[in-house]
Parts: sequence; C-alpha cells; structure tokens
Amino acid sequence: MGWTKRWKKRLRALVHKDAVERELDEELAFHLEMATREKLRAGMTAEEARRQARIEFGGVERFKEEVRDARGLAWVSGMSLDFRLGARMLVKYPGLTLVGTLAITFAIWIGIGTFEFLSQVVFPTLPFEQGGRVVAIRSWDAERSRMRAAGLHDFAAWRGELRSVRELGAYRAVERNLITGDGRGEPIGVAEITASGFGVTRVPALLGRTLTAEDEAPGAPPVVVIGHDVWQRRFAGDPGMLGRTVLLGRQRATVVGVMPEGFGFPVAQNVWTPLRLDPLGYARGEEPRVEVFGRLAPGVSLDEAQAELAALGRRTSADFAATHRHLRPRVMPYARSVLSLPLGLSVGILSLNGFVIILLVLVCGNVALLMFARAATREGEIVVRSALGASRRRIVAQMFAEALVLSALAGVAGLAAASFGLRWAMDSLIAELMDGARLPFWFHSSLSPASIVYAIVLTVLAALIAGVVPALKMTGTGLQGRLRESGAGGGGLRFGGLWTAVIVTQVAVTVVFPLITYFVQKDARQIEAQKDGFAAGQYLAARLEMDREPPDPAGDTTRAAYLARIEDTRARLERRLLEEPTVAGVTFASNIPRRYHGWNQIEMDGGAVVPLDTARGHRVGAAHIAPDYFEVLGRRVLSGRGFYSSDVESGARVVIVNERFVDVVLGGKNPVGRRVRYVAGEGAASEEKERPWYEIVGVAPDLGMTSGYGVGGLYHPVPADGLHADYLVVGVRGEPEEFAPALQRLAAGVDPTLRLHDILPLDEVEASELEFYAFWIRITALLTLVVLVLSWAGIYAVMSFTVSRRTREIGIRVAMGADARRVVFAIFRRPLTQVALGVTAGAAVILLLRTGLSDPGHGPSADEVAALIGYAAVMFAVCLLACVVPTRRALGVEVTEALRVE
Amino acid sequence: MSPAERRTPPHEVVRGTLDLLILKALSLEAMHGWAISQRLEQLSDEALQVGQGSLYPALQRLEEKGWIDSEWRSTDQNRRAKYYELTPAGRRALGAESEQWRRYVEMVDLILRTT
Repeated sequence: MGWTKRWKKRLRALVHKDAVERELDEELAFHLEMATREKLRAGMTAEEARRQARIEFGGVERFKEEVRDARGLAWVSGMSLDFRLGARMLVKYPGLTLVGTLAITFAIWIGIGTFEFLSQVVFPTLPFEQGGRVVAIRSWDAERSRMRAAGLHDFAAWRGELRSVRELGAYRAVERNLITGDGRGEPIGVAEITASGFGVTRVPALLGRTLTAEDEAPGAPPVVVIGHDVWQRRFAGDPGMLGRTVLLGRQRATVVGVMPEGFGFPVAQNVWTPLRLDPLGYARGEEPRVEVFGRLAPGVSLDEAQAELAALGRRTSADFAATHRHLRPRVMPYARSVLSLPLGLSVGILSLNGFVIILLVLVCGNVALLMFARAATREGEIVVRSALGASRRRIVAQMFAEALVLSALAGVAGLAAASFGLRWAMDSLIAELMDGARLPFWFHSSLSPASIVYAIVLTVLAALIAGVVPALKMTGTGLQGRLRESGAGGGGLRFGGLWTAVIVTQVAVTVVFPLITYFVQKDARQIEAQKDGFAAGQYLAARLEMDREPPDPAGDTTRAAYLARIEDTRARLERRLLEEPTVAGVTFASNIPRRYHGWNQIEMDGGAVVPLDTARGHRVGAAHIAPDYFEVLGRRVLSGRGFYSSDVESGARVVIVNERFVDVVLGGKNPVGRRVRYVAGEGAASEEKERPWYEIVGVAPDLGMTSGYGVGGLYHPVPADGLHADYLVVGVRGEPEEFAPALQRLAAGVDPTLRLHDILPLDEVEASELEFYAFWIRITALLTLVVLVLSWAGIYAVMSFTVSRRTREIGIRVAMGADARRVVFAIFRRPLTQVALGVTAGAAVILLLRTGLSDPGHGPSADEVAALIGYAAVMFAVCLLACVVPTRRALGVEVTEALRVE
Repeated sequence: MSPAERRTPPHEVVRGTLDLLILKALSLEAMHGWAISQRLEQLSDEALQVGQGSLYPALQRLEEKGWIDSEWRSTDQNRRAKYYELTPAGRRALGAESEQWRRYVEMVDLILRTT
C-alpha cells in the first residue's frame, strides 16, 4: 500500500468519521455474528451462543477505542474532541476560567513585553529598506582599549578609497537652541550630517527635500531639515513650513524639508543641518571627530568590508604613525555603533527573560493547582475512561487540551495587552527612567513576528504546566486501586507537599507585596510631606548650558575662554532678569534643593564625631553655591557666617554645613571653626595629599539634599571661574510656571546659544521621583491583585476539594454528636497551618527587608510594625474566608447524604 | 497443566507475536477478521486462543504501518465483510520478523538448555 493510499485512509478516518465508525461497527458485528453461528451449529441455544461469542470476543467498546487509537491521525480527532470539551469546561467552571485566564494573561503579557523590548536592545533592526546592510565605521584605540569616533581626515580618506562600503556619510551630534518666531529658545538635539545620511536610509522627506551635497558647500545658504515631532510641537504642523526661517543658536537657517514621523536617524535627532567641515582646515590629530556610516556595497559581506578597511588602516598607521599607529578602523552593523553591548552583557540582558519565565511557571503552577482540584472532582470519570481502555497518554492529552484552550484565550489577551503595554512602557516608563531622553529611533512599540512566536511558545508552556502536571499526578500511580477508593466515597487523591509549598509561598507573597506597596507609598508620602525649608513655590530653576563654539569663528576656542564667556553670559542674564518687575532675585548653584546631592564620605579633623554604626563612615551631600544663595531663597545662615564675595575670589577653602550635618556628624555641637574633608565619593581625590581640609564657617538651614528625609550636607562657594554654577534659580513674584516662556525669551535674547534645560518650579523638583514611586506602586498593586486572587482561588479550591473528599467522615462525625468546632478544626488544621506559615514567612521577609535595606536609624518604626501585624491579621482572615463556604457545606452535610455517597 | 493454563499463554507474549501470526495467516490469501481468528486457532491446533477482539486493533496497527491493506468484499454467503491482504512491504516484514523470531526462540531455548 503506497503512502498516498495510506494518507487517503487516514484523512478519510478524520473527515468521514461517521462512515468509518459505521464500518468498524459492521466489521465487529460480522465477527460476532459468525461466532454466534458457529456456537449454534455446536448445539447451543441462541441466547447461550450469543453470550459465549461475546465472552470470547472480549469488551467490544474497549477494542473499538483501541482501534481508534491505532488510526494514523487519531490524535487529531481526539484533540479536536478534547478542545471542544475544553471549551465546554471554560463555560462550566467560570470561576476557574476567570482566575486562570487572568493570571496567565498577566504572565504572558509581562513575558512578551519583556521579550520584545530586550530583543530590540540586543538585536536592533533598522526600519529601513535592507537596514541590516547599513554599517558604521569607528576606530579601535589599541592603546586605551576602547572604540572612538573617526577623525575628519579618516572620513575623507575612506570616502575617497573604500569600495566595499558605499554612500559613506558622517555626522556630529550637537545640541542647539531652537529659537522660533516667538523668540523662545529650546534646547534640541541636532545632527550635523552629510547629505548621504538621508540617502543611506532610503527615507524620503515628507515635505520639501532632504539635504543635498550642494548644501555642504562653504558658501551655500544655511538650510535645515526638521523632524515631524518638532514640526508638530513648535510649528503646529504648519503646511507652509518650507521657506520659514529658524534660529539654531546663532545660525539662521531656512527650513527646506520635514521628515516623516518616527525618523530619527542617526540616533534620536529631530533637526538636521549640513555637515560643513573641511579637513584642510585642521591638522591631522586635531580635527573634530565624526561618526561615519554607510551601506555595504551589493554582494559584499561585513567581513570583506572589514578586510578592505583593515588594509587601509594599516597603510594609514604606517603613513601617520604619530597619530594613527594605535588606531584600527572597524566596520560594524550600524545600531551596534550606538548601542554597543559586549557578548556577556547581551547574554545577561536576554537572560532577564528567564525571570519572566519563572513568573509564568509560578503563575501556571497555581493554575495547575486549580486544574488539579477540578480534575479531582472528575476523578471518577477519569478512572472509568481508563478502565474502558483510554491510555494514560490519551487522558494526559485531554487535560493538556483543556489547559491549552484556557491558555490560548490568555495568550490572545496577553498579546493584545502586550501591544498596548509596550507602547505605554516605551512612552512613560522609559521616558521616566531616561529622564526625558529619547530612545534611538529603531526602538518601536509594535510586536515583532518573533514575539508572536514567543507568545505561542509561552502559551503552550503554560498549558503544559497547568494541564499536564496535574494530569500526570492524577494518572500517575495506582489508578486501578483508586477505582475502588473513589467508588467507596473516600479520598483517593491527596494534595502533596508540592502543593503545600505552593500555597505557603503564595500566602507569603500576598503578605509581602502589599506591604512593600504600603511602605513605598509611605516613603512617597514622606517625600511629599517634606517641608521645603523655604517658599519653594516662588522659584523657577533651570540648568544652563552653552554652545562651545565662540561667536566669531576665528575666536578663542580654549576652555578658559569658553568658561569666561559662560561667566560673562551668566552675569548679563542675571542683570537682565533683575530688570524684570516680576523677578525678586537671581542666584546660581551647582544643584537645587530636593535633588540628589551626592553621597560623599567625609572625615572630621581630630575625629570626635558621633560614633558610627557602619564602617562606611559619615556620608553627606555637597553643592557649590553663589554667595547670595541663602539670601535669594529667603533664608539666612543660622550661626557663623555666610559666604563673602572674597571667598569666591580668593578660592578660600571654607564650607557651610547644614543643620542635619551638625546633628548627625557632630551630635549638635558647634561646628564653626572645625575642619572637614572628603574621604571617598565624587568630591574626593585618590591621592592623600590632594584631599584638602575645609574650614566650617557657618551653619545653614536644611533645604533638602535629597528628595526625602534630611541628610547632612556641605556647601562650597562657587569657584571664581564659575565652574559648577550649572543651575539658575529665579525668585518670581506670582506663578513661576507663567514666567518660564519669558525666561526662555530673555535667555535667548542675552545669548542665543544659552540653553535652558529642565525648567521647573522648585516645588516640583521631587515630582518626577514621586511619579516613579507612583509607577512602582501601580505595578506592585497589579501584581499583588493577581497573586491575591490566585492564592484565594487556590485555597478555596483546596478547601472545597478536602471537604468533598471527606463528606462521609464529616457527616458521620456530626451525626454521632461530635462538636462542630472540633470537626471543623480537624478538617482545616492543615490549611490553617499553611496560611499561618505563609503569613509568618511573609511578615519575616518584610521585617528583614525593612531592617536590611534601610539606613541606620531608619528601620521599621512602631507604626510600621503595627501595620505589619494588622495586615497579617487581615490576610489571615481573608484566607480563612476562602474556607467559609466549604466549611458551611461540610457542616450542612446530612447523615443520609453522607452514607449515600457510598 | 490444566486446559485453561495450556490455552492462555502469557498476555505479553501474545501481544508481541500477534502481529507476526496475523501476517503469517494472511500470507496465503486475503481474509476477513473472523476467518483470521479461526485460522490462528486452527494453525495452533487450538493451543492458542487470542482474545478475539484484540485482533482488530492489531489489524489497524498493521494497516497503519502499511503491511496490510483492506477492502470491503462479498463473502461466499454473499455477506459484506472487510478483507485484509498482505502488501509487498508486509511480505518483506513477515520474512524479517519470522527470522528474528526464530533467532529469539533459539536463543531463549539455548539459555534454557544450558542453565
């Protein structure tokens, strides 16, 4: 029989199932008839002959089942039946369906989201036509063992000679003030890029044109291409955008094109100007560095390109040994030049998926518990099926199919949630973590095909755990023996030690998570309630930066000249601001109240500080402030003196400490006249002799050196060169927010290259941190809810299961006059122990966390311990609630009913 | 040895050899299930009585392997019955399986004699 004929038969058995079944009936009937006839001929009565024929044949139904199992595609029809049964089970047990689906959906959602994001980090793909052939060229500095951008001369040489990489281009990422018609300046990422930068991406402009080679000519009119985001945000999507002029710092440029949404090449830029750098203007080794990119020539592999480049590199190293003997050019996939991950780190990042799989396994373990409890109520069915000839594999397959129906539902919901969740995560979470910075353009919030395959794998894995594990346990040992037990109404199945462990862990987690949430919430509250120490609501702060290039292209480009220019601009800005009637005061500092001020270890001259309970020594924050800092903030130095202008000019090594410093480090003793120096941390040098002593000259009020509770801190005067005076603080009469646009205008007016970052009122400094707390609280709350529902359902299932197993025993005990309480206790001793163990374990974990992670002196407070005990009690009660319904059912058992079970 | 013991060989042995016996029975002509069961009893001089029902799963297994083929035909008494016949692959399998069985029996026999 050829394979075609065999497949035809297989398919027929699947498609024309009824006909094939009728044939099987007919065949067996024929056999029985022939056998009966033979017995008749031997002289038996008709009835006797039939009976004997049947006995000799054996169980007809059992053999039919075996024949069906032996059919080639039997598993397919079997599975389709199982799937239908599984779907019916969904409807029949809505509680399990709801809890199971929700839980698995959650796990799959987190799983896919994590997988997609990590994959994008480790295996970036550029969303261009043949994006995989876009490459970057950088130089490996063998002396310093690191990659660096190429010099302008190298770029020029490669552009002239490289054959294996085409469309070679280069860019330089800079930050510029984008000043529009209203005069407001806003810092924005600009790519100074060669015209080939657009060609290499194959992405055309949405409006107008991209940059061309002519734009790069020294005398060409200055032009700019803007991104979709800037177009919408700063120009309200003006359709007549082309031809309008904008200021980029000092440079006026005409807008010639708008790029489509999502285009951010080379990394996350939104404004593009021509790269006008002439290598001839620079000596070799002193030229600016540029990032080089291109496309592999058709048919050329990365290795071949590398070989050509290496040969070129060797020649350059020989020709220009002074600057290039240690440089080895390398070609690499483009995205890797921006986000270069060593192999170990990539593996590490990908292994984060493992944690999510552990979460899935835990969640599915729970669902397995529920499925097991449900299967246990159908034990009779399974035992009978097995007796009728169903193989173990068949029964396991059935339960797998039932679980697969459930997990498939969850998989679909998880996919939907993930595609939404990913967008949310990319938008809010990443923005929060990266402090407003944008992800490279190739990160996207849609799900890749790989993620969808991964979702299917997770779904099957979930079904395997939730379906197959309980099935194996059910059918594992002595199924035959259990036929007797289940018939006798006794408990055949038991929940073993594994389930006990699951329940205990579960309960512990439901204790830990909400309490963590509570403590986080409490910390957030504490930050919120923290007094500012001054009228923070009346101040506007901004971080200052300025373009490095001098206004006159031929001007002084040294660092000293740059610092002098900043200092001068700062002074002019201060004078200009003070002319405004709404401005009450202006000051500068390296940091602003309520931001993190560092964590530097210090020591006091002569010791005699408050003894420390850690070996790390005292750690304090530090900031540099202008002499009028406290005065502008409306506070005065509490004792000793403030800074004088002479401290700034002479560079005197004097510091002011805050009140907290006096309390923590000196136990409240007068610090004025004592000396302090840094031992470790940002402010410290490694050399002993380079750790100068600073004399404490005054004590200042606490203005907040972190977002939360007070830490000790030191204030230094800003140095004379203005270094460290990064923050501008403006006292405003009226609403500070309303002054922000005016501040942007005034600053751009003083110097168009003066960029103001992070403009915000001083009473909102901690807002972003609070947002992060809120985010964390939402996540833990969601997680807690899922775990809580799961464990609640689990306990309920196990209790119902126990009661239904022991109906007879309970009935008889109650009938014999046993005390109801004792009966209840006898039944529920085990679950009670489990819940108690779980609650205790959870409470212990919380106490450890709270004690271990906190700073000395900030362990769990009395009210936190009270909250812990209170919550543990509530959890205990909630878990017991799950026992109420089964208990009532147990006590309501009638003797007659109990005995009927037999 | 009581007749009952003589007529019921260990179940596992039957299951392992049933396929071989069916192939042998079919090697002469196409037959329906009832005839095969009769033939097996006859060939073994009624020493071997297979639980007749277990014949059918075995037939299904052999057909699935491609060793036998089946077809509905009329019997001599003009009844519809499903006839099974050996395929070329089945004939080859019969040769190989018989050879293997003989070697197995000889080996077991050798062990039983020498120990």
